[in-house]
Amino acid sequence: MRPFANEPTLELRRAPVREALLAARRELEPRLPLRVPVLVGEERGADSGLESTDPGAPSRVVAAGGVASAADVDAAVRAAAEAFPRWSGRSAAQRAEVLVRAAAWLRERRLEAAALEVRECAKPWPEADADVCEAIDFLEYHARQAVELERGPQLLQVPGERNMMRYAPRGVVAAISPWNFPIAIPAGMVSAALAAGNSVVLKPAEQSPGCALLLVTALRAGGVPPGAISLLPGYGEAGAALVRHPGVHVIAFTGSSTVGLELVRAAAETPADQPHVKRVVSEMGGKNCVIVDSDADLDDAVPGIVQSAFVYAGQKCSAAARVLAHEAVADALIERLAGAVRVLQVGRAESFATEVPPVIEREAQERIEGYARTAREEGEVIAEVGEVPEGGWFVPPRLVASLPPGSRVLREEIFGPLLAVERCASIDAALDAMTESPFALTGGLFSRNPATVAKVARRAPVGNLYVNRHITGAMVGRQPFGGNRRSGTGSKAGGPDYLLQFVEPRVVTENTMRHGLVVE
Amino acid sequence: MAERSATAAPRADPEAELLRVGRALHEALPRPSRNPIEAVDRRAMELAAQDDRLRAALFRLVDVTPACRSLDDLAAHLASYLGEVERRPPPLETALRLSGSRAGRAALGAAAAAAVRHMAHRFIVGETPRGAMPTLRSLWVAGAAASVDLLGEATVTEAEADRYAERCADALDTLVEQSGRWPSRPVLERDSLGSLPRANLSVKVSALTPLLRPDAPELGRADAARRLRPLLRRARDAGAHVHIDMEAVDSLEATLSLVLELLDEEEFAEGPSAGLVLQAYLRESPRRLDQILEWAASSRRRPPLVVRLVKGAYWDHEVVEARQHGWPSPVFEVKAESDRNFEDLTRRLLDARPLLRVAIASHNLRSLSHAIAWNRVAGGRDEDLELQVLRGLGDHLMRALAAHGMRVRVYCPVGDLVAGMAYLVRRLLENTSNESFLYEQARGVPLEELLAPPG
Ligand SMILES: Cc1cc2nc3c(=O)[nH]c(=O)nc-3n(C[C@H](O)[C@H](O)[C@H](O)COP(=O)(O)OP(=O)(O)OC[C@H]3O[C@@H](n4cnc5c(N)ncnc54)[C@H](O)[C@@H]3O)c2cc1C
Repeated sequence: MRPFANEPTLELRRAPVREALLAARRELEPRLPLRVPVLVGEERGADSGLESTDPGAPSRVVAAGGVASAADVDAAVRAAAEAFPRWSGRSAAQRAEVLVRAAAWLRERRLEAAALEVRECAKPWPEADADVCEAIDFLEYHARQAVELERGPQLLQVPGERNMMRYAPRGVVAAISPWNFPIAIPAGMVSAALAAGNSVVLKPAEQSPGCALLLVTALRAGGVPPGAISLLPGYGEAGAALVRHPGVHVIAFTGSSTVGLELVRAAAETPADQPHVKRVVSEMGGKNCVIVDSDADLDDAVPGIVQSAFVYAGQKCSAAARVLAHEAVADALIERLAGAVRVLQVGRAESFATEVPPVIEREAQERIEGYARTAREEGEVIAEVGEVPEGGWFVPPRLVASLPPGSRVLREEIFGPLLAVERCASIDAALDAMTESPFALTGGLFSRNPATVAKVARRAPVGNLYVNRHITGAMVGRQPFGGNRRSGTGSKAGGPDYLLQFVEPRVVTENTMRHGLVVE
Repeated sequence: MAERSATAAPRADPEAELLRVGRALHEALPRPSRNPIEAVDRRAMELAAQDDRLRAALFRLVDVTPACRSLDDLAAHLASYLGEVERRPPPLETALRLSGSRAGRAALGAAAAAAVRHMAHRFIVGETPRGAMPTLRSLWVAGAAASVDLLGEATVTEAEADRYAERCADALDTLVEQSGRWPSRPVLERDSLGSLPRANLSVKVSALTPLLRPDAPELGRADAARRLRPLLRRARDAGAHVHIDMEAVDSLEATLSLVLELLDEEEFAEGPSAGLVLQAYLRESPRRLDQILEWAASSRRRPPLVVRLVKGAYWDHEVVEARQHGWPSPVFEVKAESDRNFEDLTRRLLDARPLLRVAIASHNLRSLSHAIAWNRVAGGRDEDLELQVLRGLGDHLMRALAAHGMRVRVYCPVGDLVAGMAYLVRRLLENTSNESFLYEQARGVPLEELLAPPG
């Protein structure tokens, strides 16, 4: 296998490339709505009961999915357990080949996949394309990592004794994925689990069944045995039943803190008939801070912060939520940020001009507006995009300030286009504000002093700290991604040790002495 | 085609003519001066060119200077940067020691601030257009025209775009008003197609709109057009020239289509004189020239479009950006390819007259000599070729070209220190790049090599 390299994103600055995407979209249109069945091993189950709609035009149905029943969940876990011995029996290189073929399948359909994300999740084109690339990257990267992992670590060897350590797959992995990176995040969890030799049951978010089907189709087309990858479209109940199933060994989850913590609790129950302890790999929310030092270059900081906070309407767990500005630059920064927020382009995801698309659904819109009301009551809204289009779940981007320290706007994850600015007397004060938060996913720093950069890197508890750039858009192999504290269980998708989450170490020690002779 | 001059009869061998021109220009270059300040400058640049880390430290210092709150703060930054340099020449070792005490930092900060200000003054002619007028006037008197460029921070808001447009309008007014009092300089004011405006302003599209986005060029184009149109009217009414600079390739589509579409509007059919830039380091530049020529052939506009040919100032940025995304590089990656393409485009541009006016912008003696020689060999007149240099980098060349009887225009940035830093860093980068002509020249590469064909 060639060494890993990130899949290049499309060069959208070229007009013909943009044309090709629009053509892919036109081709997709007549095929909608997609039908997304419950896929349990070889069986195709129900394909209605759940609908995903275009957040920019909610009356348009993008995919009609089945709703997995309790019986489907049970059947999927059994099918996975049945497929496990054969799948895990293949060598890592063989499994890697399968994943690389799945990546190739997806690569061939990358325009169609991006077009689907635009429609189903209102991801603007550059974001949709980046998501497809990231999915391809996960498949390619985890495939290579599995081959690496199979070699096992080196142990001390002494005469007359042979010590070997290897990593064995755990068994059945339940993957529960969100809608905001509708192909990449499930691809990351599923490919890691499969590469390491596990079989997988995927329960995608109810908002993005169409994208999940595309991923599962890619995996099966690449040669993953049907039993080793099942698809359970549905709502929360299906997910809850899946994580409680005693046949599940690992739960890989990305989503809200509420659900993530609930799942940690559920997984900890170990009924008598369950012969193992479940492991949970959980990526939860963030309340991500960007510190702006007095020597920061605001020409870089302003676009970097705006991009981090508002692209995809702030619906990324890595998005910037708080700006902690050194008081020496706070006035200038706030003025420029406000102006930059006012010119954000709010619109339908399919327009190349759009930076801030509609949010995913009505509840999200209402929730975010609720936070905006609180911000207005407790502080002030400094900038807001005046008019947003009608018809979709649009929320105007907002910049807020002057909030009391205890405000829920500063403490809770909003997951929408709302950014709060706070003034800090010093970098230490900013670090204190950052470390007081129970979240520790991403963070940012704009500073031109190497000493300050070193200090913040040492003290910031976040999983991913970005210096003098935007804080979103982690790349596989370059920015292994994941949060600490209440943001996650500390694993790093797309990093060199992610696969360890899906295996258990086994050590074999053999006595190689017989009657004084070493029989190696 | 412009009427051919009788004095420059077609010569057979362009390379021979090129050598002749190159030698003559070289002769006219002032000898390296013994001015101690220039010597220190040269020494600093040499050090920087030899050691990447030192160069990084120097650039970071220049870059951060206007953002530092005090001399103490500046000295602390300097110490922090020097800490990352492995082999420190003795003066820097001393500097680092100085930074250990408060008094030392005050002295060090003051010295650093003075050095940066000194460097800035070399490249920037004034804080405001009015403040720049004495320099512009003395350039004119000495035989060099100018194009004024207003430095500024990045435009990220509407207010900033509006402010830049206002500054441009004011600059046009000031330039027109003041340059009217300058003495007559026929070489700088006429070519065979007619008269050339004295007032000349270079404008950046990225400063005219906060909406310039590579994946949605129509957005920035429309917003910039709102602000460029009034500037063009003002220039037309006052008889000034407006030149649209070219920036990173991300904005190429928007910039090119903006200029070509606006100039085609009915109200600009008779003026103003206007121009754009072609970057020879771009692989797509020959096609872009096709596009410009097609436009020029079909446009009913009267004043010929001025095309300024440059190599391109964003080489490192373009290469890094492409690498980070896994894209093919939009620029040549071998210096000689840029140089060769520059010469090809020069010839095509010269041949395209009088549909266009041609300005060749470079500090490369070979590139400039090539343009002058080729023009003469093809029977063109010297007056139908303009040469352009940057203030601070091309000062000596400017004098040599003027002495040679050529029309030379100096690109003159105007702005304060804060606004000027990005520009200053780019120029320093250029000046210390191992591949730059100026560096080779300063290193003492023999003239024959400097004038040899690229490759
Ligand atoms: C009056 C004037 C106006 C200008 N306006 C603009 C403008 O609007 N837009 C703009 O982009 N630039 C502009 N420039 C800058 C110009 O593009 C060059 O950066 C600068 O002039 C250096 O080129 P040179 O011919 O003087 O020197 P040289 O030393 O001969 O050439 C250096 C140039 O070669 C190219 N180069 C360097 N290394 C490589 C490599 N490895 N492979 C391929 N190519 C390489 C780069 O373009 C570099 O700038 C302007 C310059 C002048 C003098």
